[in-house]
Amino acid sequence: MTVETPLLEVSNLSVRAGRDPEASLILNEISFCLEARRILGVIGGGGSGKTTLARAVVNWLAPPLRVSSGEVRFRGQDILRFAPEASRSLRGKAIGYIGGDPAGALDPTLTVGTQIVEKLRAVEPDVTRQEAKERVIELLAAVRIPTPSQRFNEYPFQYSGGMMQRAMIVDALISKPELLVADSITQPLDVTVGAQILRLLRDLTEQFGTAILFISASLPTVADVSDDILVLDGGQMVELRPTAELIRAPGHPYTKKLMDELPMLWSKDLGARLKPAPAIAEPILRVSNVGKTYSISPRSGIGRARRLQAVRNASFDVFAGENFGVVGESGCGKSSLMRLLTALERPDTGTITFEGKNIFDQGAAATKAFRRRMQLVLQDPYSSLPPQASVGDIIAEPLLIHGLGGRAARRAQAMEMLREVGLPAACFDELPMTLTAGQRQRVNVARAMILEPQLLIMDETLSALDQTEQGRLLDLFERLQAQHGFTYLFISHDIAMVRRVCARVAVMYLGEVVELAQNERLFFDPGHPYSRALLSAAPTLEERRYRSEDCLLEGEPPSPIDLPPGCAFASRCPHVYETCLKRNPALTDRGNADRAACHLLTQGSAQQKDHAQ
Amino acid sequence: MFILGFLARRLAQGALIVFLVSFLIFTLLRVIPGDPVRLMVGGMAPDELVEQIAAEMGLRDPIPVQFMRYMGGVVQGDLGQSFIRPASGAAVGGAQFDDATRSERARVLTLIADTAPFTIQLALLSMFFALLVATPIGVYGGLNQGRWPDRLALYIGSLFVSLPNFWLGIVLALLLSVHLGWLPAIGYQGFAYTILPAIVLAVEIIPFILRTLTVSVAQIMRESYISAAYIRGLSRTRIIFAHALKNASVPLLNLLGVQFSMLLGGVLVVEFIFDYPGLGLLTINAVLQRDFPLIQGIAIVTSAAFVLINIIVDLVSTSIDPRLDY
Repeated sequence: MTVETPLLEVSNLSVRAGRDPEASLILNEISFCLEARRILGVIGGGGSGKTTLARAVVNWLAPPLRVSSGEVRFRGQDILRFAPEASRSLRGKAIGYIGGDPAGALDPTLTVGTQIVEKLRAVEPDVTRQEAKERVIELLAAVRIPTPSQRFNEYPFQYSGGMMQRAMIVDALISKPELLVADSITQPLDVTVGAQILRLLRDLTEQFGTAILFISASLPTVADVSDDILVLDGGQMVELRPTAELIRAPGHPYTKKLMDELPMLWSKDLGARLKPAPAIAEPILRVSNVGKTYSISPRSGIGRARRLQAVRNASFDVFAGENFGVVGESGCGKSSLMRLLTALERPDTGTITFEGKNIFDQGAAATKAFRRRMQLVLQDPYSSLPPQASVGDIIAEPLLIHGLGGRAARRAQAMEMLREVGLPAACFDELPMTLTAGQRQRVNVARAMILEPQLLIMDETLSALDQTEQGRLLDLFERLQAQHGFTYLFISHDIAMVRRVCARVAVMYLGEVVELAQNERLFFDPGHPYSRALLSAAPTLEERRYRSEDCLLEGEPPSPIDLPPGCAFASRCPHVYETCLKRNPALTDRGNADRAACHLLTQGSAQQKDHAQ
Repeated sequence: MFILGFLARRLAQGALIVFLVSFLIFTLLRVIPGDPVRLMVGGMAPDELVEQIAAEMGLRDPIPVQFMRYMGGVVQGDLGQSFIRPASGAAVGGAQFDDATRSERARVLTLIADTAPFTIQLALLSMFFALLVATPIGVYGGLNQGRWPDRLALYIGSLFVSLPNFWLGIVLALLLSVHLGWLPAIGYQGFAYTILPAIVLAVEIIPFILRTLTVSVAQIMRESYISAAYIRGLSRTRIIFAHALKNASVPLLNLLGVQFSMLLGGVLVVEFIFDYPGLGLLTINAVLQRDFPLIQGIAIVTSAAFVLINIIVDLVSTSIDPRLDY
């Protein structure tokens, strides 16, 4: 056997932010090899330098970042020493790159097809336009984009996030690269779509023999696809080992910490955290048969307006003192539901009652009083705080709005809240600019609870935070609940978080509540195929109870505009049969107040078995 | 299909706008003090004659009646006749109250059609000059944000925006016509007469174009699809010309639409200074003479031009950026 030079060989690579030898070190002495057909995963938290590494490998560091020492050898040649023109011909041709922002990766004013053709002809000028077009359409079909010849002529904004990421994979693979750098490619996608992209990526490496440098902040995702894993922490390479070995016995404390912070879906007993709903209690919030449809007028201004059914026939109760979760992926109607629950918009059908009163059948004063009893904490820690007001003023503002207390009293109360959410008193007169994302969310929580509400709606409140910070805030929520008796309604896409904190969960898909179940039941015996698909796609290192290959068909949710009749999940459901396409199943009782909407539940169990196979 | 629906909707909106503008101008002109008939017949004419002529012309009817009568003509393409100007040329006025040739007074549409081409020519030429200077400087400034080309664009913009046009017109006329004798300045006897006023107008427009271009080019260059394009292997030339400039052209186009409409609406001061026979000069004279039909006609024609230019700009913008939805 001859000793071959590896495809990619990075040796002692250091990157600094500036020319100064004292400038801060972003990457410190990174070394690794990547052979053809292999997938090397790179894992690291925010600021670990993983994106810098990805960019250094394609020789595209933006100033002030620059390589201070080391080599990146591609097929034995050091690409860092290439002239810009030579490295450009390498980039995009022999080395493909896919980033984590598929929505912004292409010029919005040109069709997707045109731009991939443009790229192919830029790196391979000999290809004719017609040939290029044929190759692009062929590859669009290979990444399972439906009707590729039609999709070729569509604009980026007409693609969903998942479709766009597939198109970017085509863009990277069109020149048959030997190395593909994939930087956080599943991060902005819904878990079920991300799982499909990962599956696709694995198939393609088999097919094309491409080596992949797979970079992600999620250990389960990296472990899912990679042969080996490199762990980065603060620009240092702390570990590089085969995946199975690393997962079995993490060597470095940082790797151990990463693994410990991972949420567990099935292995840990979480019962203690979750209070069961009191059997006979009167619900604090009652949502019955709520529906909301938006009409979208056509672009030309003439013709029929189309109907977007954002929320369809949603019903559930939330009991005082419990944690209730609403989970679902983008476009499932979570945010529309939040707008209805907070009386920002009126539903077209159905009623919402809070503490026994219909929230829409009351005057302005009563609505204001209702809003005092029910507060909202939003997702984005940056845009949800006014940048020019001090933290103290922000927290005290709700008191001002509701006309409570004098100036001094408000100030004292705001200070008290600040302390309660665990922020230093010194923050009081600061602007939010100086705070971290986690601290900002604490300000948001303080602002919501200063009115002493009964119900707190957490709309993706933790989504923007990292694992560690999420854990701390969840502990805070728990403590505050014990002290003040809050009821929490968590709206989230993160099923692992829901597993940790919510006693009962409503699963939404395309505007409908498809399953309503207690925590344990949902995770161990889900009643709806979509819940199973969601569980199968959740990133976890545990032994999976559900495999995404069995639970989810290729494809994306249909558009909520002009929905076809029948079950909305039918197009992605592996158990689909005729009835599913004709009639939309109603929520069926599964005992213990757990309900799910699936035709299989109402069929005989024998038949269910038939269709399941 | 989209285009047809778009045009139908926008033209209908435009017609409404023109109608409202006409009504506003019509009413305002009739409620302000000053009797045009007195101006027409002259100060020496007896009051009875003034009343008689006014009644004959329908000027004593209620305003809505007058307006409907006028609009009835407008829809048929008849903007009426000038009160003052004869079809033959020189302004009528003074004591010719017994002049029986009123039917030979100039038609408003003809007056506008005769002067509009001069103004359009002036507008196009000044736009051309402005783009010729501002595009390279603005784009280069946008590509090099924070460095000297950016500052150069800023300085030129600040300098030009602070030059008053009447002053610049006079100085340029003095310098280029009187001292150097390179360009003619006053009146119109050929294309060369358009150049000097066009330069003055271009200087006025350049700061706006510079600002819009530097800001939008700089912003587009920060977009992720631009940096992604480098990694995808596209050349810098291709990125700038095929992607950055295309995207930056939409805000520029909107600006040019507004500026062009303003130029068409008559550049009063500049046309006055250079005695340039365009719509601006026509407007000034019509106002000074209280020539109601002419003022109305100019207002209707320029507002229609505004509407049309806006429709064209929006249509072109949508074809550049299909996400736009007007």
